[in-house]
Amino acid sequence: MRKRVVVTGIGWVTPLGHDIETVWKRLIAGDSGIAPTTHFDAKTFPTTFAAEVKKDFDFKTIAGASYEKHKKAGRNTHYGMAAAMNAWKMSGLDKAKLDPYQVGIYLGAGEGGLDFPNFTHVALAAWPENSPPGSTLNIKTWGEIALKTFDPMTEVEQEPYMTISHIANEFNARGPSLNCLTACAASTQAIGEAAEIIRSGDADVMISGGSHTMIHPFGVTGFNRLTALSTLNDNPKGACRPFDAGRGGFVLGEGGGIVILESLEHAQARGATILGEIAGYGSSADAFRVTDQHPEGRGAIVAIREALKDAEMKPQDIQYINAHGTGTKENDSTETYAIKAVFDEIQGGAKAVPISSIKSMMGHLIAAAGAVELITCILAIRDNIIPPTANYSQFDPDCDLDYVPNVARKVKVDTAMSNSFGFGGQNDTLIVKRFVA
Amino acid sequence: MRRVVISGLGSISPHGVGTQPFWNALLEGKSSVTPLTKFDPGAFDSRVGGQIPPFKTADHVPKSYRKATKIMARDIELAVVAADLAIRDAKLISKGLTEATPAETLQAQGWFKFDPTRMGCNIGAGLICVDLDELTAAMDQCRGPSDTLDLAKWGRSDDPSKTSGMENLTPLWLLKYLPNMLACHVSIIHDTQGPSNTITCGQASAGLALAEAARTIQRGHADMALVGGCESKINPMALMRLSLLHRLTTKGNDSPVSSCRPYDKAAEGTVLAEGGAVLVIEEYEHAKKRGATIYAEVVGLGMSASASLSVIEPDETGEAPAMALKKALKSAGITANQVGLVIPPGLGVPRWDKSDAKAINMVFGGTQATITPMRGGVGDCGAGAQALDLVAASLALKEQTIPPTINCTDPIDGLNVNQDRVNKQLDYAVVLATALGGQNSAVVLKKIS
Repeated sequence: MRKRVVVTGIGWVTPLGHDIETVWKRLIAGDSGIAPTTHFDAKTFPTTFAAEVKKDFDFKTIAGASYEKHKKAGRNTHYGMAAAMNAWKMSGLDKAKLDPYQVGIYLGAGEGGLDFPNFTHVALAAWPENSPPGSTLNIKTWGEIALKTFDPMTEVEQEPYMTISHIANEFNARGPSLNCLTACAASTQAIGEAAEIIRSGDADVMISGGSHTMIHPFGVTGFNRLTALSTLNDNPKGACRPFDAGRGGFVLGEGGGIVILESLEHAQARGATILGEIAGYGSSADAFRVTDQHPEGRGAIVAIREALKDAEMKPQDIQYINAHGTGTKENDSTETYAIKAVFDEIQGGAKAVPISSIKSMMGHLIAAAGAVELITCILAIRDNIIPPTANYSQFDPDCDLDYVPNVARKVKVDTAMSNSFGFGGQNDTLIVKRFVA
Repeated sequence: MRRVVISGLGSISPHGVGTQPFWNALLEGKSSVTPLTKFDPGAFDSRVGGQIPPFKTADHVPKSYRKATKIMARDIELAVVAADLAIRDAKLISKGLTEATPAETLQAQGWFKFDPTRMGCNIGAGLICVDLDELTAAMDQCRGPSDTLDLAKWGRSDDPSKTSGMENLTPLWLLKYLPNMLACHVSIIHDTQGPSNTITCGQASAGLALAEAARTIQRGHADMALVGGCESKINPMALMRLSLLHRLTTKGNDSPVSSCRPYDKAAEGTVLAEGGAVLVIEEYEHAKKRGATIYAEVVGLGMSASASLSVIEPDETGEAPAMALKKALKSAGITANQVGLVIPPGLGVPRWDKSDAKAINMVFGGTQATITPMRGGVGDCGAGAQALDLVAASLALKEQTIPPTINCTDPIDGLNVNQDRVNKQLDYAVVLATALGGQNSAVVLKKIS
């Protein structure tokens, strides 16, 4: 029989706060973490708001004695590291005797943003003003200024492997060390693959999840150019409207989510508190278009079905679906279609399964989204309560399921599913269940 | 347990487009490092590079998809080309190929039409560098005092009849730079709908991608996968970053071909490069049944992390990479004595080379294993590096020959580096990668009998 994989620690840094219980209470209350952008002056951008981690997040305090060696890391890494420190502590592994080569890391952590002021300054300084179209940068001039301007560590910290490098160093985790970047599906995929690494015996413990921020001028530029973001600038809190007829784009969020995964035998041997069990994981590719999801959710359906198969479950075993639910026209109707394709066979049809999107409250954490959503599923099982989909007011015939509108719901939850669909077509689904020995 | 074999190779490197020019260059002991010509490196102390000779991405993309090449950064182009070459080498009939040649024609030639839902795609990627010209041209009209960017003008033009700065960028601009776009474009072109991932662990990415995809096949979640990694560091941003970290050669500008010297006592830095490879891996029975050419079997996988903040300081003990090697040998069920060839990860950066050498001596010291550094003629192509090494190891096993080493005439730490081509009975080859960020991956390949 294959090894069972359990969760023994959770931690997150989110737009709604950065400790487990505060954020959870706010999610249940339907609070919003979305507000005007403060990380840079976005007042003329098509979108002027975001779901930012708030100013009371203080990495220095959380990191304590370790702060010095991680201080040059990017904001993205600080979110992941803080979440990892809290999850690690919760798991009790800080007091356990560990084989460092059996402790691994698998994150879906994003790249760091460009050093914006220096990057733009060096580029403009090497570009003759009002050059005609088709001009090119004078790379010699650029290089001369660049070498005097850029900071080596600030540059290398942008590499997408730096978050796992810092975490490996902090916890002396010398086992398998991986990072994947499959856009919005990254941390769901990371957790699924981390569980597989434990099942294969290559590690007893995996630090998994993700962290990311794209709330910087070029990140918002990229998404604004794609017209993927909500532009409801007069009403930031109401801007992310998953499954609502009035939805018009997602809201960019940032943060980190970390889960500590362990083989059941390792967790039990040290008497750890078990928060849940990873029951199933499914992964697929749309292979359709880089700009759009497959209209009939081809890849999404496969990911959901594969996860059920992996968990040896039937659709009726799922009591809550934490949706990808970005609040874009396309995602929410496609996801609804995919859920119906799999769940319509159960008694009462797909409508019988409560579905919600916490992106309505904390925005879209991109690579980190799947991790905070899996943590949400674990807490929903712990407390038998489903957080709502906020901002739901108007029925859309293409989204005709039970989205737990606006008010949290007390209901028995033993098994929950979390979906993540990445830009470009990579799809991942996880199933987590209440741990029963 | 389901066995996994390598049944297709596609590489793109400074040695050329295709696996044959790559392998020929290795056998000839040729370096393809030249003075950097893609842009003017005059401001930098390192001015050599491993640049890929000119090629047209469109030649490797079906007509109906050629428009998409406009939103492919260089790294994505490399993956698209390498995947096309690998698919053809494996004689696979994919959606991308049947647009030009009917499936029936290919089938008549013995090619195989695969089940898209059973084919995965796992291609490692790096941090894709921005196109400075495109972005700066867009910023020019938003110039503030002392060459700063006026963000207000970037977001919205003062003159309502004119576009804002950001509107000068193509709407799909962001998609050029998402690392997962290597795998996404490849999966779309060839219609691979199985598990797809993008591992971003620098030089160790391709081995980690191979390990993950092989496990997926072993578990029965797929029958085949495209795996590998590609990256281009031939970009001013990458040259700036690696120069600031003092990782590049500064003395080799006058003799490019001998400038990259992995494990040589005279090494003083690596060379900026671009390249990578995509390999087809496949369940053994599946490959046998369709009459595939099998290069090698994937029999051992090992992973570890150095856990030092290795961007600043390598793990000088070599202990973590040695553990990756030991785990790979253990999973292959073999001892170090059975290994005939080890391809080490060295790039010619002295302190990092030393760490690898320690690891290799720890595991292979006193054995007959030939140590053959393969990057002396190419340089550092990041996520593409280990993919090229995997191609080289596959061919060495298939051809039962080990290419000569170049630019390592006086090896450090007494490494058993071969100077000349070695022809010997070769049963197992090991490919080790140690990434700048401290991630290590080791792969054991076996000769197929």
